[in-house]
Amino acid sequence: MAMVMDLDFSNFTYSATTTTTTTTTSTDEGCNWNNWSPVVDWEALSGGQEDFHDLIDSMMDENVVLDHSTSPVTHEEYHNLSPEYNTMMTDDETNGSDDLKGLRLIHLLMAAAEALTAANKSRELAKVILIRLKELVSPNEGTNMERLAAYFTDALQGLLDGTAAGKQVAGGGHHHYKEEHHQTDVLAAFQLLQDMSPYVKFGHFTANQAILEAVTHDRRVHIVDYDIMEGIQWASLMQALVSRKDGPPTPHLRITALSRIGSGRRSFTTVQETGRRLTAFAASIGQPFSFHQCRLDADETFRPSSLKLVRGEALIINCMLHLPHFSYRASDSIISFLSGSKTLNPRLITLVEEEMGHVGDGGFVGRFMDSLHHYSALYDSLEAGFPMQGRARALVERVFLGPRIAGSLARIYRASGDGEGCSWGKWLGAVGFRPMNISFANHCQAKLLLGLYNDGYRVEEINSNQLVLGWKSRRLLSASIWTSQDNDL
Amino acid sequence: MRFEETEPSPPSDHVLGWLGESISYFPAFFDDPYENGDFSGDSWWANTQNLEQELIINSSSNSFTTNDIETTNTTPTPTDSFLSSQSPPSDSPKKRKLPADLNPKTSRKNTNRRINEPDPGVAPRKPNKKGNNKSGGNNLNNGKEGRWAEQLLNPCAAAITARNPSRVQHFLYVLHDLSSLAGDANHRLAYHGLRALTHHLSPGPAPSSSSSYTFASSNPEFFKNCLIKFNDINPWFRIPNNVANTSILQILGEQEKPSTLHILDIGVSHGIQWPNLFAELTRRAGGPPPLIRLTVITPPTEITTPFANSPQNYDFSSKLLTFAEKMNINLQINKLDNFQLQNLNSQLINSSTDETLVICVQFRLHNVQHGTPDERTKFLQVLRGLHPKGVILSENNTDCSCNNCGDFATGFSRRVEYLWRFLDSVSVAYKGRESDERRMMEAEAAKVLVNVGEMNDRKEKWCERMKGVGFKGEVFGEDTIDGAKALLRKYDSNWEIKVEGDGCVGLWWKGQAVSFCSLWKMDLSLE
Repeated sequence: MAMVMDLDFSNFTYSATTTTTTTTTSTDEGCNWNNWSPVVDWEALSGGQEDFHDLIDSMMDENVVLDHSTSPVTHEEYHNLSPEYNTMMTDDETNGSDDLKGLRLIHLLMAAAEALTAANKSRELAKVILIRLKELVSPNEGTNMERLAAYFTDALQGLLDGTAAGKQVAGGGHHHYKEEHHQTDVLAAFQLLQDMSPYVKFGHFTANQAILEAVTHDRRVHIVDYDIMEGIQWASLMQALVSRKDGPPTPHLRITALSRIGSGRRSFTTVQETGRRLTAFAASIGQPFSFHQCRLDADETFRPSSLKLVRGEALIINCMLHLPHFSYRASDSIISFLSGSKTLNPRLITLVEEEMGHVGDGGFVGRFMDSLHHYSALYDSLEAGFPMQGRARALVERVFLGPRIAGSLARIYRASGDGEGCSWGKWLGAVGFRPMNISFANHCQAKLLLGLYNDGYRVEEINSNQLVLGWKSRRLLSASIWTSQDNDL
Repeated sequence: MRFEETEPSPPSDHVLGWLGESISYFPAFFDDPYENGDFSGDSWWANTQNLEQELIINSSSNSFTTNDIETTNTTPTPTDSFLSSQSPPSDSPKKRKLPADLNPKTSRKNTNRRINEPDPGVAPRKPNKKGNNKSGGNNLNNGKEGRWAEQLLNPCAAAITARNPSRVQHFLYVLHDLSSLAGDANHRLAYHGLRALTHHLSPGPAPSSSSSYTFASSNPEFFKNCLIKFNDINPWFRIPNNVANTSILQILGEQEKPSTLHILDIGVSHGIQWPNLFAELTRRAGGPPPLIRLTVITPPTEITTPFANSPQNYDFSSKLLTFAEKMNINLQINKLDNFQLQNLNSQLINSSTDETLVICVQFRLHNVQHGTPDERTKFLQVLRGLHPKGVILSENNTDCSCNNCGDFATGFSRRVEYLWRFLDSVSVAYKGRESDERRMMEAEAAKVLVNVGEMNDRKEKWCERMKGVGFKGEVFGEDTIDGAKALLRKYDSNWEIKVEGDGCVGLWWKGQAVSFCSLWKMDLSLE
């Protein structure tokens, strides 16, 4: 659906452009060259859209190119196709220039990404473009697109300098939250993110509902959590477990949190602190509970044998990879966790991950633009959630999105060309996990959740085992549930 | 309905209940963010505000970090110096260190070296630069380092050729944001390139024709001073001029008896080159010839070849005559203004057989069509018909960029490369500083991008053409080579002179061929 819309939009772009009249401006302003600008008729280009998603898509859409190369265009027509080149205008910051600036930023970002790719790599060009971008944007000021561009600029600069190289993402402590952000900021940002958008809760609630449904008759439940963070997900699960009115007695809940070497870096609360809190919280509401840690190897590889299992427990594997769960984990670590889990024959695997588009050849530029599209939608959704709260948004962006963008780009930069673009959900299916159906209740719950937020959010069930949270036409986040056991519940 | 049980409770309670011990950190608005719509109230943010970086952005102008902008016009040469001084453009101290400029003999070295050898000894001034390998031409990769503007301009031209409007538009946007007249050579190239591409996409009056910065629209006095200054810091024209002058001396020396020297000047030196020659003539044994006739052919004003035009009121004749008179030289100047080269014939030149006719052609012929009709060959035939004692031909040594020799993208990239060498060397010459002079020289060179006619050709093609009409190549004299090399020492060390196997003298910048000079005489074996 989204693809169709995007394609339509692209066509619209060109038809709109062709009908734009050429503005002929006298050229005898020789001294005024500095103000000269190939301004595009933004209205015609944007078709009145208020965000850049469709535009980004249209820039990425190779079909447009093909359409034009196959259609015979005379020289005259060709000139008419591009009347905006002729228009002269000063580009000072007048009303309505935000859109134009946003457009310029997208072009510059795309050019910088192109300059960093192997085919026509030019570090000089990338450097110059990034210098220009830094002159144009700040992460704390300006429109969504400008702030977003600032973080993308920083991320690209990291790629250019090589400071965003592999070990930061694969190894420990890559985002230095404690160094960069005061704990108060991080907590406030987390709270704000929860309040502004259903982003966090959509994943947690969908997973929790699936867990509740999967363990209805079990006396003992064991959840292995890949990235527990502060454990907020389990507080709500416990509340749900103890408040089952007419159900079976509250089962014993055991949670094993995976911890990393030097895991203090991972989150603003350590796994130990999280365990203490969870234990105290469980006691306060009467939930039988025990907490364990299972340490990953130094390279974040998961060894199933290091897990303590108790016969008779319903085993749940919980893998949250979305915000605010920090950054992209190294693929190898996730693979070791998921494939290792399969040997344990879990009742249920809950997976939440960001939904990225499937772009052409999987090259860096295409995936870069897809990321830009993704985060642009995210920014817009946050703005719609708290339209007046620019500073609050800036905090969320600084604490969560900036590092996330940097990690995301570093990952696709390193992976570009090797085809590593498929989602973890697809991967689970490919290695033999079986999809479990998302219940009607779960779907309804997601809709109820979104009802608390802005109209622009929507939920779609794109597979029987997968719910997707979207912002307008862009899919943001996908929650899917799987099992490795033969008999579906 | 179990889902009711996990139905989202008021969205913020979990975290707060959860992180109970941290709750004191939270500002009050967290308790009920939905009712309190404007919690951005300054009270709360006052605490964290100072954590936010205030970045001063300067987004309204392309403020590329340039070197300090020169605010004063340093025109070292007093306005009249080139007429009153015996050694006109070079009354600077440097001059005295380099007598070779006017008197090559004094600096001659390696006199026993055979001059027509390919010169292995460009060595004196090649320190540690890359891309200086002898084979030349193979160092494209090195030469392209740091040339980012071409990496936008050329793909844009290619997209135009491929009719891919969205790509074209993309590059135009990026170019627009990176082009600047105040930046380094790349930013300037982006600027001129962007204008040219835009002009190509929506043809109108040539953009540079309306500029006040080109030769044609400048002030004559400023123009003259600018050329003199330029020759002093960049050998682009100076070396070809110097090679031509010493070659004229050589040709004169070969004549059996003193005779009138007739110079046919089809060049871009705008008279600047001749005082040097006159000074040299007065020093030679036997003194100056009894009469010097200078026939100058200036192009029509609408010609868009770089450096060919001059300001409308610019006339060097009277001053040159005064200068000659002071030096006791008998000079006649005949100017053929607004002259189409195709119309040249021997009657107009009015050359007699007993005079020594030397034709000096510099950077002008590439604008003559070489396709169909082949006016270029016709013109060379006319030159041959004048029976000159010698022809000095200097041209840009670059592939032709006309529409018959390649598509738009190919031609454009060749023009861009030519302009890059100019801008790069000029940037070095002006030490990165901005000035009106620099701006005019660059704008004039940038005409190459919108020049409608033929543009440039390879040295080999020129030589072939000259041979085809009945000339034969001559090697330059040792004085010429040594003089040019000595002169080059005063310029940036990225410049070099290469004496090629065919006897031509090549001028190179950073390992890339810029121009060549060649000396021709009539091939009498054909008559």
